[in-house]
Amino acid sequence: MEGRRILFAAGILALASGGAWALEGDPERAEQHLSACIGCHGIPGYRTAFPSVYSVPKLGGQHEAYLVKALQAYRDGTRSHPSMQAIAASLSDQDMADLAAYYARSEGGR
Amino acid sequence: MHKRHLIVLGLSAVSLVFSSAALAWNAERGQSISQVCAACHGPTGTSIAPDFPNIGGQHRDYLYRALLDYKLGNRQDPIMAGQVAELSRQDMRDLAAFYAAQEGLYLKR
Repeated sequence: MEGRRILFAAGILALASGGAWALEGDPERAEQHLSACIGCHGIPGYRTAFPSVYSVPKLGGQHEAYLVKALQAYRDGTRSHPSMQAIAASLSDQDMADLAAYYARSEGGR
Repeated sequence: MHKRHLIVLGLSAVSLVFSSAALAWNAERGQSISQVCAACHGPTGTSIAPDFPNIGGQHRDYLYRALLDYKLGNRQDPIMAGQVAELSRQDMRDLAAFYAAQEGLYLKR
């Protein structure tokens, strides 16, 4: 009985949070996927050329939760950019959390 | 120089002036229309909640593109869709210029 009550409470909580449990990101684990990011986001002055020309965003110091939201939006198709959609499609939720943690957390101020 | 050449030159100069005026990025004007943004993104682009992006120090052309993409529906977000509805392209450029000139985000390798 007690167990069922806890399950019920957990279910309500899951619903209340939109069903999305925030995964704990690990910046060190992000290393294995960083190669997909640094070719654009790690180069000063780099611009995306397609579909139009503009600077790729700076990611250092961005909010972790927002970075995850952005990657999910690329994966879900609610945010359009061909290369970002392709990259996001190859990432798991855990990968996204790890990458977000890497870019959001500063090392020695930077 | 032929008169016709002079006319062409004059017209080119006039169109150059107009096109550069249209492409101006006026950070001061951007600040004057940024109050509504500040409610979520903070007065200098450091946002009040982790779901809202920091925008201070971001590249201005990226910020402009983001606003434009909300307007065009390339980027879907109910809050931002409402915000950009009333913004002209010049408004977006000026807002982008203002937030780009603030401290905040940095390039991380």
